[in-house]
Amino acid sequence: MIATLSLLPSRWRALPHARRWGAGLLLALLAVAWLLPLAMPLDPARQDLMNILAAPSLAEPLGTDHLGRSQLARMAAAIRLSTGMALVSVLSAALPGVLLGVLAGWRGGWTDRALGLVADCVLALPGLLLVLLLAAIAPGQFWALYVGIALVLWVEYFRVVRATTRSLAASPQLQASRLLGFGHGYLLRRHLWPALAPAVSTLAAFGAANAILAIAALGFVSIGLEPPTAELGLMMTELLPYYREAPWIILQPIAVLFLLVLGCQLLAGREPQ
Amino acid sequence: MTLHAIDLGVRAGDDCLVAPCSFRLAAGENLTLLGETGAGKSLLAQAIMGTLPAGLEAHGEVRFDDRELLGLPPGERRKLWGRELVLLPQEPWHALDPLMRAGEQVRETYRFVAGDDANPARERTRRALARLGLDRAARRLPGELSGGMAQRLAFAAATAAGGRLVIADEPTKGLDADRRDEVVSLLQEAQRDGGMLLTITHDIRVARRLGGRVMILRDGRCVEEGDAAEVLRRPRSDFGRRLLAADPAEWPARDTPPRALGEPVLRAHGLGKTLGGRALFEGLSLALSPGEVVGITGPSGCGKSTLGNLLLGLGQPDRGHVERAAGIAPHRFQKLYQDPPAAFAPHWTLGTLLDDLLRRHRLAYDRVPPLLERLRLSPALLSRRPGEVSGGELQRLSLLRVLLLDPVLLFADEPTSRLDPLTQREILPLMTDLARERDCALLLVSHDRELIHHSCDRTIALAGDTSMPQPGLAAVATAE
Repeated sequence: MIATLSLLPSRWRALPHARRWGAGLLLALLAVAWLLPLAMPLDPARQDLMNILAAPSLAEPLGTDHLGRSQLARMAAAIRLSTGMALVSVLSAALPGVLLGVLAGWRGGWTDRALGLVADCVLALPGLLLVLLLAAIAPGQFWALYVGIALVLWVEYFRVVRATTRSLAASPQLQASRLLGFGHGYLLRRHLWPALAPAVSTLAAFGAANAILAIAALGFVSIGLEPPTAELGLMMTELLPYYREAPWIILQPIAVLFLLVLGCQLLAGREPQ
Repeated sequence: MTLHAIDLGVRAGDDCLVAPCSFRLAAGENLTLLGETGAGKSLLAQAIMGTLPAGLEAHGEVRFDDRELLGLPPGERRKLWGRELVLLPQEPWHALDPLMRAGEQVRETYRFVAGDDANPARERTRRALARLGLDRAARRLPGELSGGMAQRLAFAAATAAGGRLVIADEPTKGLDADRRDEVVSLLQEAQRDGGMLLTITHDIRVARRLGGRVMILRDGRCVEEGDAAEVLRRPRSDFGRRLLAADPAEWPARDTPPRALGEPVLRAHGLGKTLGGRALFEGLSLALSPGEVVGITGPSGCGKSTLGNLLLGLGQPDRGHVERAAGIAPHRFQKLYQDPPAAFAPHWTLGTLLDDLLRRHRLAYDRVPPLLERLRLSPALLSRRPGEVSGGELQRLSLLRVLLLDPVLLFADEPTSRLDPLTQREILPLMTDLARERDCALLLVSHDRELIHHSCDRTIALAGDTSMPQPGLAAVATAE
């Protein structure tokens, strides 16, 4: 995600093919989800019981579902929801993960040991269980889902950042800059962040894919969000009974989920150096 | 058994990296390729082994006995590795398996490369280790070996499969005099029973000790070759003469008269430091005055760098204390590093980093151009990143960086040990001159006694290192 945000035209050409495809795929999906509603009226909740399970047509390019709701509107809403929640989860996992990692790697000693212990404890909890627990405490709430996911994901950032920071903290380049009179902010900006950014952006892209999958999985087992929210996993459950009459409809959330995750994975993939 | 290179050269596309040159090695002989970094010495070795990086291409002929090596398919050439051709690793630490016991690493070669049965392999390993004085180290892990032992172990493992042509690529880089002599005797071991030795080095003293024949390379071109004894005493080429003159032992004696010393900028009282259970130094007191150049010398691991770091306040002594003269800003105590690229943030251009420094200390940019000129640096370098300039240029840039802050004390930790002799010859006098000009105390750490002797006003010898060439210069470490 961070890589996508900082994509500049000049860096686009420097990207390996796989990452270019990944970014292109995600941008296309996001454009459909965010720009289409501006061009035409799309309401994911408007029902038309006279026109259910309709095949794709000019008026309804993706057909309608079992309540006659526009599939196009519902898919667009579902993509907005999944990517938005993934972005929030990634940010709220990356931010504490990176900050605590830098703190632990930099300070060492007790700070490092205490934070390491907390991270180990979180890892010892099964991640999905934690999310399920929070989802059960606050059913149907957005915050419970993304707090749960962020709580599980931050450990990865913490560990990677801590290891890199620790080796850098003892390096001559930092010692030299400190002797030259530079402060912590400078060391972070010029030394640490450039070394951390590639790993953190890769983790963020993988993290986004994981978050999208987790949200869909929770929706599918009806623990996450509740109807009538348009959510990929929830839509799969709702549309499953109609797979015989209207197979193209149940295929839509599956295909979109696949493309979203594929896009993130391609974006994260680095060429072996 | 002979190795005969005929017009062997290396090309990258249309660029000629090493101009065609010919040489011949017979059983029991040795040849040393001498030259600066970037002269193409290593490429020649890789061309013979068949390990040139992708995009580079060897041309000419390499005859090994009756086989022409360059024409062989890669698979065939790989079969020669270890069995016929041996490339000694430059850094033994990187070549040894850190998780495998020493004896096992050698036995493996006997067993799987030479193809011995289990019992003979064990027996030959035992004998090989005993011959190199490693018999008691067989059960240890590489991390538990000293540098010299690791080097001998890597040698034993590399030569176990009976390779007769041993190629050593910069085997003594960054080693002190004693370790260097140890490696040279190790290399001579390879040559003992009719083996052939091809050594690549920039150290004239190694070439001299190895004897045999020498080829001097410059910019991918052979400028001179002949008997080591002859070439290294009376080189015919201009470049050969310059290379010889760059040896610290040949430097002209200092002509600056000792000067009256001002009030010390830093005093240390009764310093003591123990590292890893070993006392590095004890009760060490000293004072450093503006404009004096003080050398610290001693074998590797004796605490030279540790002492410098303590004086700079980068570490805490176990006993005693360091006292700076009052009223001097902390950033006027500076350090130069052994490995110049490691001392810069690698992701930014040198100009950006320099601007950061000027802004941090509110300095005007007009201080930079005269310094660039004095250090013979092109301003165009500032648009490059630290990894894109040579080590010598980068070391001069780090000198520029600290000089901008008007240092009163500069601690130079082996500042030229990773650089070529010619570059060292250029940079070190520049460093001492600038320190004397600008009334900056320079604390110079080096494992090279000759270099210290030719550069410093007085010397602190650590760890019982009493063989200073000129006792008159050496102030006793405890004298204040």
